Amino acid sequence: MKKEVTKIVLAGEGGQGIQTIAKVLSTALVSAGYFVSYIPQFGPEQRGTPSVSFIQFSKSEITYPKFDTADIVMVLRRRAINTIMSYIGANTQVLFDSSTIARQKFSINNSKIFAIPATKLAEEQFGNKNQNILALGVLAKNFLDYPENAMWEIISSQLGKKFAKNPDLAIKAKAAFDFAYNFQLETKKFSKPEYDTCEEIIVKKNSDRLAVIIPKYCKGCGICIEKCPVQALSFGKTLGVYGTPTPDIDIEKCITCGNCFRFCPDSAIKVSPTQK
Amino acid sequence: MKLPDEKFGMPACFNVKSKPSLFCPGCGESMILKHLGAVIDNEKIQSKITLAIDIGCTLLSWDYYNFDIIQTHHGRSVPTAVGYKMARDKRIVIALMGDGGAYAIGLQSLLHAAFRNDPILAIVINNTEYSMTGGQMAPTSLPDEITSTSPLGKNASIFGPAFHGPELVRQIANPKAFIARSSVSNPIMMETIITKALKNQITNKSFSMVEILSICPTNWKMNAAESFEFLAKLEKVYPVGEIIKNKSDKDSKSISE
Repeated sequence: MKKEVTKIVLAGEGGQGIQTIAKVLSTALVSAGYFVSYIPQFGPEQRGTPSVSFIQFSKSEITYPKFDTADIVMVLRRRAINTIMSYIGANTQVLFDSSTIARQKFSINNSKIFAIPATKLAEEQFGNKNQNILALGVLAKNFLDYPENAMWEIISSQLGKKFAKNPDLAIKAKAAFDFAYNFQLETKKFSKPEYDTCEEIIVKKNSDRLAVIIPKYCKGCGICIEKCPVQALSFGKTLGVYGTPTPDIDIEKCITCGNCFRFCPDSAIKVSPTQK
Repeated sequence: MKLPDEKFGMPACFNVKSKPSLFCPGCGESMILKHLGAVIDNEKIQSKITLAIDIGCTLLSWDYYNFDIIQTHHGRSVPTAVGYKMARDKRIVIALMGDGGAYAIGLQSLLHAAFRNDPILAIVINNTEYSMTGGQMAPTSLPDEITSTSPLGKNASIFGPAFHGPELVRQIANPKAFIARSSVSNPIMMETIITKALKNQITNKSFSMVEILSICPTNWKMNAAESFEFLAKLEKVYPVGEIIKNKSDKDSKSISE
């Protein structure tokens, strides 16, 4: 925080909560006595396009909300990288999600690149809505040196409505934030993403029927699960095009009614009787 | 047996290269486009179809199919389709629009096309708000519905009650015109109605209009189950079925095959 103006870019998939943490971060910086400029950017589709937010803070007034090179870049999804690559300069600190992005996407010799497997941690420990809170915890500690308790107070005041509706979410978010605040960042030169979109076609069959799920079309809306009359579908481990879980089919329970592919908006699932 | 490929779940007239599409997760419109594709496959009319699309979320379907698609101005997909049909009357023309394009900015175009009995099919997707710009209040919003520009609920005494488009168009449309309402909650009925409307254009050379009630989980801020619950509420206000002239809403004939 020595420089006059510190510029931050936060990027990820629409719906991941990038704008939520950008709002929290801006509020936190304002309450710390800074001038803050925050401007969001997302495509007309709202979801399904990379969501980016630009934040600047300074002790003096800020004249223009946009900039060319950032001081801190955070990116949580592979599809958002192309949008923010031009903001990474020689002195930019980068934080990325190593469970969805390979380290090789960034310059190998750069020593200012850090990683947290946010998606993996969120899926396995804290519930999949908390990947943004994990990233925020890391940003607060390692990049901005912001006090932990003060940041948590601002998170709970900003997300108060959601937490009041679902108290379980608050406990999980608090656990995620504490974990991230004390997380030792990865600085490996090479890493392989574990939670990437599955490019293969999943085929399951038995003597009566053939089920096909195409994860690269699935957007994780959950309509097929809602419309299945015998609960043969549930969210599985495979990731779809937006990094959301895709349905998993229990082929023995299925009755080939056809509701799942009749309602699927993206033609990602189909069940058909086996031809005899 | 041949292994299933990427096109396994899609109608044959889909443009595979444009998938996954630009629509949000759980979008009702991509569901409608899928069943429209299925009808076009069943009727084997892919080589004769021309689709005119409007501004709004419908414009995201500009590369959805492997047939000709015209991008028109806002609210003007009906007059563009009518003009195209006049010039090339052997083509089968469909005008696709949202409730904003049909009942707000483009209402006069729609009314006059129905009045003149122009032989086109107008498909109106009704999700009770302007979705592409972030879920603002529309004429079709229900009284007390919360949208981004009516955070306390739509005040019916200021903004009017829910707008019944097909009932309005029915009053001045030619008796031969086929006007019906359908819903994404029943895809089989939706396909039946679209097929009937297309046949009305081909055999009767008459105007047909289908309003389809749709879901918008992103702007309604709901998950799949809640979206379909709200859709069931919509179906009580907007009765589904063929619209008959000069009858109240309760008397609309239901199509159950």
